[in-house]
Amino acid sequence: MLEKMMKTRLFAWIDERTGAEAIIKSQLTEYQVPKNLNYMWNFGSLALLVLTLQILTGIFLAMYYKPSAALTYGGYTVAFDSVERIMRDVNFGWLIRYMHAVGASAFFVVVYMHIARGMYYGSYKGPRELLWIIGVVILLIMQGAAFFGYLLPWGQMSFWGATVITNLFGALPVLGEYLQQLLRGGFAVGDPTLNRFFSLHYLFPLLLAAIVGGHIHALHVVHSNNPEGIDVHEGQGTIPFHPYYTIKDAFGVAVFLLFYCYVVFFNPQMGGYFIEVDNYVPANNLQTPAHIAPVWYLTPWYTILRSFESKLLGVLAMGASLAILFLLPFLDRSKVRSSRYRPVYRQMVILFFITVIVLGYCGHSAPTPTLKLVGQIATTYYFAFFLLLPFLPKFEKTKNVPDHI
Amino acid sequence: MKLKNILMAVVAMTSLMVASGAVQANEHGVALKHAEIDVTDQEQLRRGLTVFTDVCMGCHSAKYITYKGLMDYPELSLSREAVDELRGEHPLTAGLITDLSPEDAKVSYGKVPPDLSVIANARRGGPDYIYSVLTGFEHDPAGKVPDGNFNEYFPGNRIAMPDPLGWLDHDEADTAELEAQAQDVAAFLAFIADPHQNERRIIGCWVLGFLVVLTLVLYLLKKSVWSDVKH
Ligand code: HEC
Ligand code: HEM
Repeated sequence: MLEKMMKTRLFAWIDERTGAEAIIKSQLTEYQVPKNLNYMWNFGSLALLVLTLQILTGIFLAMYYKPSAALTYGGYTVAFDSVERIMRDVNFGWLIRYMHAVGASAFFVVVYMHIARGMYYGSYKGPRELLWIIGVVILLIMQGAAFFGYLLPWGQMSFWGATVITNLFGALPVLGEYLQQLLRGGFAVGDPTLNRFFSLHYLFPLLLAAIVGGHIHALHVVHSNNPEGIDVHEGQGTIPFHPYYTIKDAFGVAVFLLFYCYVVFFNPQMGGYFIEVDNYVPANNLQTPAHIAPVWYLTPWYTILRSFESKLLGVLAMGASLAILFLLPFLDRSKVRSSRYRPVYRQMVILFFITVIVLGYCGHSAPTPTLKLVGQIATTYYFAFFLLLPFLPKFEKTKNVPDHI
Repeated sequence: MKLKNILMAVVAMTSLMVASGAVQANEHGVALKHAEIDVTDQEQLRRGLTVFTDVCMGCHSAKYITYKGLMDYPELSLSREAVDELRGEHPLTAGLITDLSPEDAKVSYGKVPPDLSVIANARRGGPDYIYSVLTGFEHDPAGKVPDGNFNEYFPGNRIAMPDPLGWLDHDEADTAELEAQAQDVAAFLAFIADPHQNERRIIGCWVLGFLVVLTLVLYLLKKSVWSDVKH
């Protein structure tokens, strides 16, 4: 199909003015990809799909959404009313809103799988360090975008979640108070906060789109890693992206859409995990909910925060737990990439994944002394994993790596 | 081998989704009563609406549902005459708003009764919780909370809402009738919390059906495109 299209006169006309043919060749039909990628390599294209869906649904939501905390009848606000209007009166507004709210969670599911893939197969190692670093930047901006977005419906969780998180900035020395007030636009979370969060919520995903472009460019310079973690060369174990991986990604998209649409159409709140129960209660600054927790995708970091008695230490640890991701390519000194040939690293990284899930569970549940201890142990391992990596090559006996696929 | 992996992932994801739906313990650990509701059952929804307008609207509003909505939603499709009778002087586009002012409510009950438009989504257990609360008025076993304010299912047990259906000390013979009223109004509240939910589920079936076929076709296509790649 693509070949036929490229033979038309219209295409020739465009090509003369844009060099489209060279781009299509270098990026698709002649772009070389290892032939042995497994389905873990599908999550990158899925992330791109979800980002697109978020931006499209978001733009339509923004046509009807009103960022105002002014009170209306029944203890509601203009913002809450506008979301309910989208749900009830706007044609297919319910679909757009559920797609967007579920999409936020889907985005993190997909991106966390994508990151886990990179860690398991050593994709962060040379020559892909910069690719990994851009990825971590994407993760941070995504978390910011989702955090800003979660305030917009102006429910109880929106309000108190934002209050708790902006409070954290207040714990930082010197600039803390200033930063906190800058974020809030005042002394407490209120109407000015809602307005600036809306503005930033619009901005961040567009920033993401640009950075994702950089991520893909960086990828196409160094090419994909593969489950064996070995270098492949054109003609030896590679196939062109198109048609092989276009069709494989399309199949992945269909499988993903099955799950996504099941949730959107049949279980959009996902039992309170994707849209929390308390967020159907309008924000009320006089009534603290019994249990405040961020949405599931931020809970691992929330547990790290809560594992320290001192708020300042907690904030610093939380910052460090994200910042240390940037250093991963430099902490890991082993020459071997894939876990398949690194028995010790393999155990460690699987334990790391379990640890993050445990951290997430602890952060989502109401705090108890046992959970706090479990969270502290998990936090310790979270950091230990990274700090042990430089010493690993001293005692890890790696298996023989094949020299071709 | 590959297909087995996909299948395993699919099974894992599905069980996660089912599990997340099943986790519906009440806030303070009391098991809720199960409400028999059907949000596609017009009879039940209309009976629930009647309970709502006759009893609950003495104190509560549901401002996101308009009188016009009672006619327009196919699940309710009330006649113009029925709606005119309900609304009295209120315009068609007005929401179902109580005549009790928040100030008076505060004086009488100590609290402003919450708007019930989205209450079914705003409480864990949704309709089960509403049903349980309405039929959960008891005498306080500890004898502290005055009669009419002790509720087995309300967090903390002390509720400011005076037993609206007259559950406490009701005649044995009325149990079934009161339970039916509580379930009907729970069904109505579950419906209005998300009035496009039935449409959503119907469209969802078509969408999933289409996606199943698409997935299958793309899988076969993928296999045929990849058939010349040797491993
Ligand atoms: C006499 C006034 C009155 C009537 C009539 C009344 N309610 Fe209430 N209701 C209240 C008050 C006051 C509260 C606040 C209770 C509290 O927070 O302690 C309340 C709270 C509630 C709640 C929320 C409980 C929670 O978890 O916070 C629900 C649900 C509810 N009512 C449903 C109903 C239904 C359904 C009806 C009709 C069958 C009804 N009410 C009739 C006064 C009333
Ligand atoms: C990175 C991509 C994005 C993510 C992760 C994201 C996330 C979120 C989240 C979590 C919510 C709250 C959902 C809810 O509970 O209702 C939300 C709401 C919203 N978002 Fe986004 N969003 C993204 C992109 C966008 C874009 C590009 C726009 C367009 C301007 C946008 C506009 C809105 C609006 C108007 C709301 C409020 C309506 C509502 O709450 O449903 N979003 N977003």
